[in-house]
Amino acid sequence: MLENLSINPELGSDDTDPETVTRMIILGPKANVSESEIVHALHLLDLPLTIKNTCYGSMVSGKEKDVIKAIKEIRKMDPNNIFTKARGFPPGDPRRCRAHRLGPREGFHQMEDEFKLLGDISDALSNRKEVNIEKDEPIDVDDFKDIVKESLNDKKNK
Amino acid sequence: MVKVAIYPPNSLILADLIERKGHTALALQKEVRKKVVDPEIDSPPMNITEDDPIKGLKYAAIEVPSGVRGRMSIIGPMIDEAEAAIIVDDAPFGFGCVGCARTNELSTFLLRNRDIPSLELNYPSSRDETMDMVNKINDFLDSLKSLEGS
Repeated sequence: MLENLSINPELGSDDTDPETVTRMIILGPKANVSESEIVHALHLLDLPLTIKNTCYGSMVSGKEKDVIKAIKEIRKMDPNNIFTKARGFPPGDPRRCRAHRLGPREGFHQMEDEFKLLGDISDALSNRKEVNIEKDEPIDVDDFKDIVKESLNDKKNK
Repeated sequence: MVKVAIYPPNSLILADLIERKGHTALALQKEVRKKVVDPEIDSPPMNITEDDPIKGLKYAAIEVPSGVRGRMSIIGPMIDEAEAAIIVDDAPFGFGCVGCARTNELSTFLLRNRDIPSLELNYPSSRDETMDMVNKINDFLDSLKSLEGS
């Protein structure tokens, strides 16, 4: 018999509250803190949050102001190696939770792929360099003609 | 705080870099949450109702597949709400994917057509390019601070 992957979530009143948000805290490959340290620190904040320890870091769910406060505090532990992302589904939702699926949830593959870039991203955040973000404008056609003539003349002279 | 649209709309890296600078990232997950925790939508795991492709008609014509219109009913209002945009071209599936190439084309077209500050980058293929991308995004986000007062 096929596994039922369309389980009714039976969400609690906290989950259906529009003010409730869920954030994933993801540790980069060069992080100086561990997943359990993050979870301990989150518990020590004593905020009304649901905290879940995961393989990539942790997941926090609660009122938006509490979650933002918790993320601000947690980032201080290792600012350039702790990344966060919003999550649509509440923690443990059977429609996404891997405990009810026959393999990793869909978003895990995306996170796994982005994780490969996180080391370079944290290096770039640590060593900021000046760059030019101005868009390159196409040159004037007359200028282009002049450059072509000049380069053709140069070739002839050689 | 400036509302910055990102494309791909569910990228971890883009959303994180924007929030680090104190701006709001218009990420897809926040919109999806409104759908999946709504007790009135009781057909899990589906989170699109029959009204959504109708709402999508604002962004795509009737002959466009309903999948595009359904996606646009969620992505379209985010594009309307955006005050700035960061678009990453040629991103692989793992860098945030909406699962539809036509939706990608339509969304980037609509973002480019909005008269808002935007930064368009190519997905990096090396370590140097990745660092360059992060620096460009940070500079762009810093330049948005002038918009905050207006």
